Amino acid sequence: MLEKILTDKFREILKLVFTDITNQQDRRDAEEFSKDEVRIKEHLLDVVEPYPPDTILDDDFLIAAVDGSGTDNLMLLDDIRVHLLSTATTVLDTNTRSEKLFDPISTKALEERLGGQPHLDVHWHSGVRNDAQKKMAETLESIYPLKDVVDIILPFFKDDSSGVISSVSGFTGTDYEKHLPELREMETLISRAQILTNPVVHDELRKVSEYAAARNVLTSDIRPKYLLLDGALSIFMHFVKKYPSMPSGFMLRELASLARKEGVVLCAVSKNHTIPFAHRIAKMAQDAFGEGTKWFCQLPCRDDPGGGLHITEDRTYIPPRLAVPYLFSFSQDNRPSRIDFDRVWWLENVFVRSDPVATRQNEKALFRDLEFMSRDARWYGYPVPLALAHEACKLSYEDLRLAREICKDVRHEIGLDTRKTEPLRADYNL
Amino acid sequence: MLDRDSLGELFGKVGVGNQTMLGIMGNNRDVSVGEIFMIYSQRDGHERVFFFRVLGLENYLRQVDDMARVAGTLMVEGDSYLSGIERNMLLSVDGRMLGYAEETGEGWRFRSPRRLPDHLASVYRPIPGTSDKPVREMLSSQTDGSVRVGDLQIGEATLDVPVMIPTDKLPMHVGIFGSTGSGKSNLMMVLIKSIIDSNLDYLREHDSEHPRVSAFCIDPHDEFARGVDKYGIQSVIEAMDATTRADVIKDFYYLTTHKRATKREIKRYTKEIRVLWEEIRPRDLYSIMEFTPQMYSFIDSQFSRHQEEWVEKILNMTEDDTPEGTPKGTLKAVQRRLRFLERSPIFVESGSSILGEIFEAMETGRILVVNTSLMSDMEQFLLTTIVTRTLSDMRRALKSSGNLGDFVRQGEMRLPKPFFGKVKAQAKAFYGKGGVDDESPVRDPRELPVILVTVEEAPSILNPELMRGQSVFKDISRQGRKFNIGLLVVSQQVSVLDNVILSQMNTEVNLRLGNEREIRACIENASINISGFENEFRVMAQGEGIVTASYREMPLPVKIPLFDTVFERDKARYKAKGPPRKERTL
Repeated sequence: MLEKILTDKFREILKLVFTDITNQQDRRDAEEFSKDEVRIKEHLLDVVEPYPPDTILDDDFLIAAVDGSGTDNLMLLDDIRVHLLSTATTVLDTNTRSEKLFDPISTKALEERLGGQPHLDVHWHSGVRNDAQKKMAETLESIYPLKDVVDIILPFFKDDSSGVISSVSGFTGTDYEKHLPELREMETLISRAQILTNPVVHDELRKVSEYAAARNVLTSDIRPKYLLLDGALSIFMHFVKKYPSMPSGFMLRELASLARKEGVVLCAVSKNHTIPFAHRIAKMAQDAFGEGTKWFCQLPCRDDPGGGLHITEDRTYIPPRLAVPYLFSFSQDNRPSRIDFDRVWWLENVFVRSDPVATRQNEKALFRDLEFMSRDARWYGYPVPLALAHEACKLSYEDLRLAREICKDVRHEIGLDTRKTEPLRADYNL
Repeated sequence: MLDRDSLGELFGKVGVGNQTMLGIMGNNRDVSVGEIFMIYSQRDGHERVFFFRVLGLENYLRQVDDMARVAGTLMVEGDSYLSGIERNMLLSVDGRMLGYAEETGEGWRFRSPRRLPDHLASVYRPIPGTSDKPVREMLSSQTDGSVRVGDLQIGEATLDVPVMIPTDKLPMHVGIFGSTGSGKSNLMMVLIKSIIDSNLDYLREHDSEHPRVSAFCIDPHDEFARGVDKYGIQSVIEAMDATTRADVIKDFYYLTTHKRATKREIKRYTKEIRVLWEEIRPRDLYSIMEFTPQMYSFIDSQFSRHQEEWVEKILNMTEDDTPEGTPKGTLKAVQRRLRFLERSPIFVESGSSILGEIFEAMETGRILVVNTSLMSDMEQFLLTTIVTRTLSDMRRALKSSGNLGDFVRQGEMRLPKPFFGKVKAQAKAFYGKGGVDDESPVRDPRELPVILVTVEEAPSILNPELMRGQSVFKDISRQGRKFNIGLLVVSQQVSVLDNVILSQMNTEVNLRLGNEREIRACIENASINISGFENEFRVMAQGEGIVTASYREMPLPVKIPLFDTVFERDKARYKAKGPPRKERTL
């Protein structure tokens, strides 16, 4: 293979592909971006005004963060796949009154409130018809702390309808009415059942595990000011039914609703994102504010003053439904990251109708807090609570190897046949 | 079951490694190279405590793969912090397994490192005052003896675990290696005091397990008697009541070239060093200076002809008196080499000799401090050689005899006649078993006091060139054990010492050394494997050392206490009814 990769021919193929991308996508995007440039520079982009390093906050506050990890292949028993899921929660105290800034709450104290940290869970399903859906529904029901499906689904409809639908009776006369029976069961909330591949199942389980951990924080006595999730506040919608195609979408909205109720700022930070022209926005910020300046930039939707951006017009997932995304950069050495807020919370707490100055002041206060929690030298520019949660939950290759060994042991212990845990192809050294 | 809390503070867990080298992940404590940790292990029902010596340290931050990047960020981003970093700050410690103690049901037994601690075994950092007793018990086979070198060092602190040399190992020769300022003089004083203490125990308790030790201690800087700081061996002598003093030193312990130049309080216990030419043997000179084959031949012929008068005859000889066939210039060359005897105040043609009294002192378990500060190197070397050869020839005569009659015949054959004539009666009293008549059986030399002769500036006489010839020290190094005579070789260098003496040396006290070559030589010649201790030698402070011995499995880091400290601590015991020696009561 290497001799082929090293040929000029391969280079020519790549040149053609990249030229094609530039000619078609980039040119189109560039044209669209040029329409947004002035608006971004003048209205959406602004600097973060950081707290001084020795600041002492009037009210120190707590920040919670949740991250998850796992594998869809802990063990493969014929066509049965065993998933391993891990979630970790961290809670940090800004602690500006002492020298130990962003001091983590001890694991012992967290475990007393939230249960074992990190939390491990195992799920299985087969390739037999409907089994994946059925088993996933069972697992989701067991994972998510809120058991009543109606209570899980209602917050979405309430937020999406701006409060018009606030109970099951509110569905009467709407397009949703005919789907009501499906909306009462976890299994039928899974409306993407046809495409339940292993990665899809795994992603759903992971998401819900993380939401469950986050919900546990909200229902505990921890009372953080911020609750950070890893990723985005995206909801995959069913194209026809017009509501989330997977239970996690409903759960996310239930979580957002609960966070609002508890006075907690829910947000999701993604290191990896696909915001187009993020590098151009970063360059724009650098040119406008100077090198090293920390900045943020809202990515508005069509309902915001001035409407959505041209560059995101055909990208239906940006901004996500019921979320407000921002790009931000707190470190000149790193590329910009993305953060999503619950739109309902944002409209209530950040956005001030007809007063862009007040809105900007609210945004600045928000990003000042976020920047303050992103100065850990190990992950400078990224919120340290999330980084610590990531470190706590991640499953290394060695962890997985041991977990698989233990699978074998346990099967042996309970009198089941012992099987090789390596992928079948390993038998042929492939 | 061992009380693990008594091992000290829980420091960390065993991470990686094998039966010789281990990696430990420990708390972020102020650990130094050279510290000793204990690893508690219970594998397969065997309770063991492994001893581990720190050789290298590295800061380790959990969750940080690139420390340099974090340090850089802290510098560049002035507002950065490290959240909750304290619990992630660990110390990665590399080091060497020294061995392990195993509970056998009859107490602890120490073994060479041939096993591995259990997975993730707990590592304890000894605490002075807490860990002393269990460490003493576990290391008893490694530290026991009667001549105290110092205390077990566990880094910069020490435990109350005396490191001793067993009396019966002294005839297997001891080396003290250290550069100027490493603490050799203080160590010598501590050893002398410890020998005195050991002899005192013998006298008071008639403890046959700890036989008497005699030592002929060369003091090239005249420090031992007066002391380096406040106290010296004289202080020990003065702290004794008259009876004890008479028992321990009789009427003198200090030998010097000029008694009149000695301080008044020491003078009372002083004798002048005088050795008669007739007590010198050709071999004594062969041991300290080089001669050509022609000179050897000439000297041997003169000795054969004139016996005890050989020195006098040669020095007064003219070319005309030389035997036929003597190459021209040989006489002059030999005379040049012997001429220092004419100028020497201690090697005299006539008068009284101290050699008989030295013999008596050494056969009765006494200490002699020999001030050689006013002697030339040659005088010092010749004195050491004559004393060593005389004592060994006496014991050799004894060893070759069945009864005292045999001994006398052997003595007359081996030793200068005038000297032997003077000490014969006394020797028979020392060596005879149950009487002094010729038929009386003789004692085994091992029942007699161990004699330790210090060889100062050892490379001058224990070098390969001199040791190739008929050196007295070559015989002693090989056969001293038979006669219960050991050499205490003191040297700043190891690399230049002859291999014969190095290979026969069974105990080494390795102090701070001057350069990399000496460190390498010291490690290569240690009686047990101490490879990997290079860094230790580089950071050693004054008075710190590593004791290695062929009869022990573990290299023992030791802190030699200041003489003043141990004297202050023990001075009460030199009175007739003083308390017993501390380490013996442990």
